[in-house]
Amino acid sequence: MDRESHNSTQAAGGACSEWEPLLILSAAGEELDAAEEANVAEHAAHCENCAAALKREKELLRVMGERRVEPDAALLASCRAKLEDALDREEETSWLRRRIGALVPTSWISPRPAWSAALLLLLGFAAGLLGPRYLERHPARPATGAPAVAAPNIAVASVPRQDATPAAEASGNTGLAALDLHTADVSGINVIPAGAGEPPEVQLQLQAQRPMTVQGTVDDSNVKRVLTYVLNNGDRFDPDLRINAVDLLRARSSDPEVRSALCHAAQSDRNTAVRLKALEALNGAEPQKMVQQTLLDALNDQNPGVRIEAINALQSMAARGQVVSDEHMLSVLRDRMQNDPNTYIRMQSAAAFRDLGPRQKF
Amino acid sequence: MSVALEGDARQAAAAKVAEEHGLIRKAQAGDRLAFEELVSRYDKDVLRLAMNLVRRPEDAPDIYQESFLRVYRNLQRFRFECSFYTWLYRIVTNVALDHLRRRSSRREDQAPAVEDGEGTTRDFFDRQAEQRAAANPERSLLGQELGEQIAEAMKQLSPRERLVFEMKHHEGMKLRAIGELLGTSEETAKNSLFRATRKLRASLKFMR
Repeated sequence: MDRESHNSTQAAGGACSEWEPLLILSAAGEELDAAEEANVAEHAAHCENCAAALKREKELLRVMGERRVEPDAALLASCRAKLEDALDREEETSWLRRRIGALVPTSWISPRPAWSAALLLLLGFAAGLLGPRYLERHPARPATGAPAVAAPNIAVASVPRQDATPAAEASGNTGLAALDLHTADVSGINVIPAGAGEPPEVQLQLQAQRPMTVQGTVDDSNVKRVLTYVLNNGDRFDPDLRINAVDLLRARSSDPEVRSALCHAAQSDRNTAVRLKALEALNGAEPQKMVQQTLLDALNDQNPGVRIEAINALQSMAARGQVVSDEHMLSVLRDRMQNDPNTYIRMQSAAAFRDLGPRQKF
Repeated sequence: MSVALEGDARQAAAAKVAEEHGLIRKAQAGDRLAFEELVSRYDKDVLRLAMNLVRRPEDAPDIYQESFLRVYRNLQRFRFECSFYTWLYRIVTNVALDHLRRRSSRREDQAPAVEDGEGTTRDFFDRQAEQRAAANPERSLLGQELGEQIAEAMKQLSPRERLVFEMKHHEGMKLRAIGELLGTSEETAKNSLFRATRKLRASLKFMR
């Protein structure tokens, strides 16, 4: 032991107390500048206790580093799936919060609960008192130039088949044509079961300046128009509504317009469940270039469940001889069989590549 | 030659930052896919950090989810004044700190114990050590004993000390950056690191 360490007080680790923090920082790395590092090295070269302490610090870090835990792929995938569900719920609640927030600013309400309650009571009272008087003086006018009707503010755009008359259908179609779907909100879908073999009745409630109900089977052009609009503008509607729309439209997947909306949902809907449903619906669809391309795009989806659905659909279409393989398809399959993190997808991609790829001639 | 390479690297880094800013702006505008892309870039790091901070694997997914939900709710407030990574890590560390503080106030949550066939209990980290040691049987016994000592030693650290130690030694961050993340000074982070190191040293028999 040299003179320097004899003159110093000792820290708990045995090192000189004034050098101990520098030894910790030196072992930690990238905290001392070159001059400080040189000082530590010089001191350790002359002080046995500090040299031993520095060695112990490095050993401590090595041992702790060896026990570091790395997340495995399965845990990460499960976290991602749960996060996606939580984000869906978050979107639904934030949609509600935004609408409530637009009416009542929460920043004002929270610090003044008593005043807020009084104000809400007053507003409710005023609305109850003045609302009916206003409605009596200003009856709702129809959107088109049709004569005003006294009471109803619900228009039936498309009537059930058994009650349909040419006149009623014409008037309903005019109502929907006049309704701008860009500003309307679909507030609900009711499905009314029909007899055996009959397609179910669908009732769509539209909230607009003038609320409207569209009713008919999925073969009805107005029903189709609203449902495809919901899928093509998914950002505006709730996931439940979009899932219902896919479910109803799958019976019409041979219709090019419907097929296009389903492809759009499978490729770009932000909700995994909707993308999965849309892929399921496309599985039975008439094989088209667009469907094939959608399935290939879905093989690169972030969600492994969607990729599994896509490869399954592609394989069942291939088994029916409905797939036309080309260089692009083979390159996507090759990529998936080599790089997909999911074993099942890698295996199925390899099987599809084998079935659809170029065969060697003997 | 090296100057040119350095210039190229700087340009590539700037392009990467610009691309990420574009993604963040899209996510701020409500683009869910852009947000999910951001998540997929950083979520492995976040999960690893959570697992190593709380040292209890079943809690890590909760921290992961809570952190990203906070990011989602507060993304509008991100003003590009620091990197997204720093901002995200600040949120993760806050969530982890809250979690650790709650846990340290609940005695029953002290260790992720699992009972083995012999009726003794061992934590997740012991099992991890055993799995690694299985590849090298000579180290098996030593690894098990060491694992118990380390798990015990880590319990002695306060949440903040554990966090600073983890960020410094496992995430490779500088103390200044850790201080910024924790909303404190470099000096405070340094003192936390000193205290953590001393406590670990005192608890670990082989270090004495």
